Amino acid sequence: MERRAAHARTPVGRSMEPTERDRDRVLPGARAGSVLLGLSMLAACEGRQSVLAPAGADARVLGDLFMVMLVGAVVLWLSVNGLFFYVTRINPAALSKRFANGLIVGGGLLLPSVVLAGLLGYGLSIMPDQRAPGDGLTLRVRGEQWWWRVEYWPEGADAPIVSANEIRLPVGQRADILLDSARVIHSFWIPALGGKMDMFPGRETRLSLHPEKPGRYRGQCAEFCGTSHALMAFEAVAMPPEAFDAWLRQQEAPAAAPATAQGQRGARIFAREGCGACHTVRGTKARGLVGPDLTHVGSRLSLGAGTLGTTLADYETWIAHTGTVKPEVEMPAYDHLDPADRADLAHYLKALE
Amino acid sequence: MAEHQPAPDEERREFREERESLWRITLAPATWAVHFVICYAAAAVVCAKAPDSIGTLRLGIGALTLLALGLIGWLGWRAWVQWDVRTTGDYRNPLGEAEDRHQFLGHAAVLLSVISALGVLYVALPALFIRSCG
Ligand code: HEC
Ligand SMILES: [Cu+2]
Repeated sequence: MERRAAHARTPVGRSMEPTERDRDRVLPGARAGSVLLGLSMLAACEGRQSVLAPAGADARVLGDLFMVMLVGAVVLWLSVNGLFFYVTRINPAALSKRFANGLIVGGGLLLPSVVLAGLLGYGLSIMPDQRAPGDGLTLRVRGEQWWWRVEYWPEGADAPIVSANEIRLPVGQRADILLDSARVIHSFWIPALGGKMDMFPGRETRLSLHPEKPGRYRGQCAEFCGTSHALMAFEAVAMPPEAFDAWLRQQEAPAAAPATAQGQRGARIFAREGCGACHTVRGTKARGLVGPDLTHVGSRLSLGAGTLGTTLADYETWIAHTGTVKPEVEMPAYDHLDPADRADLAHYLKALE
Repeated sequence: MAEHQPAPDEERREFREERESLWRITLAPATWAVHFVICYAAAAVVCAKAPDSIGTLRLGIGALTLLALGLIGWLGWRAWVQWDVRTTGDYRNPLGEAEDRHQFLGHAAVLLSVISALGVLYVALPALFIRSCG
């Protein structure tokens, strides 16, 4: 997925780091392949999108489950192959009938039944906690093609605080996350925080997450949902509760009026180009609901659902090369805008913090 | 078989018995299948229509499970007697004689009962651990 993201960036001038391609040239084919595979597998063990680097209560429990299964599988593999080695190499004489029957009943019937029952019980005993009720904050996330519509409902709220393409959660609390989808099945997954949950059109599913370590993680749509599925990701931020509350209050506020002349020009271009038909900027005439709410787009940590960064250049790239950066998105590419207009627009959007 | 001359109707009776026990070996897996379908259907219907009745559902699944295990246990016991491995000491019944066939069907039915009992238990375990619909 990262790889496809990198590809999508190249045509618009972002340099790829000298990683995979260059190493390929140094090492001969097949060996390079396995070395790369090994390296990338090792690299997958840490980082902000890894089940093996848990940062939440649910991911920790799932990580333990994984380790138990892994160690168990290794022990079983060694025992079976050790036994095989023993009877074929070390002691190839015929076994007594009694012993052979014992092996079949004990190793083939009793052991698997008991081990499977144990694992099933263990797995099932974990499940209720993974879906435990939250402590008050509820999020509603709807899967779109290919982005995320997000609403925050603090306890007792009667109207949501609308955002998009980013999930923020307070550390040390359990938040409810209600999921559904607009048209096709997606799957919501923040590996560092917990398990994944499918999102269906017309059917609400539920997940709850309890982040433990503050930090920036990454979520990814985990169910193929069309052309740009691989570019349907998001930043997930776990914050200390006070910081989260402050952030949420800021998200609730309408957009700040542009403070600079360039920003004001950008706002006019935004209105003139009809961006408001698809996007909402609260506090302005832009009320569109087709695309992500842009009221605080400047405070987000990525653009286009984890597709681009957030520099002014990234904003310009997004606006002018939308469908190149992210194939088949429902937003037209504004490549007819002249560079000055594009820069103004980028300034306006980036200042919407 | 050579020294034993069966009466013609004895052979027919034996054949009929075999046919019945051929049916009987499917009964334990069938019990498992019925238990499975009822548990899944009941859980789906209760959780969609009356999620508050989940407690009753769990008790019901528990009772059904005991019933199924009882039935499978009884079928297994009958199959065990038919297999008759204790007196013959013959695990495998390799010969194609009527007696061997008879015992082999018992043998197969015992194994199927064991796997069916396990299946029933595993199907019921979620009802033991999971206390709510969602
Ligand atoms: C036809 C509807 C439509 C129009 C018109 C439109 N957009 Fe979009 N826009 C979208 C959709 C849909 C997305 C989400 C694409 C995705 O990530 O899959 C989007 C995404 C964006 C994003 C990224 C938001 C985020 O959360 O990452 C920005 C910025 C943006 N649009 C700016 C603009 C600007 C500026 C204009 C006018 C020049 C504009 N859009 C016009 C539909 C539209
Ligand atoms: Cu998706």
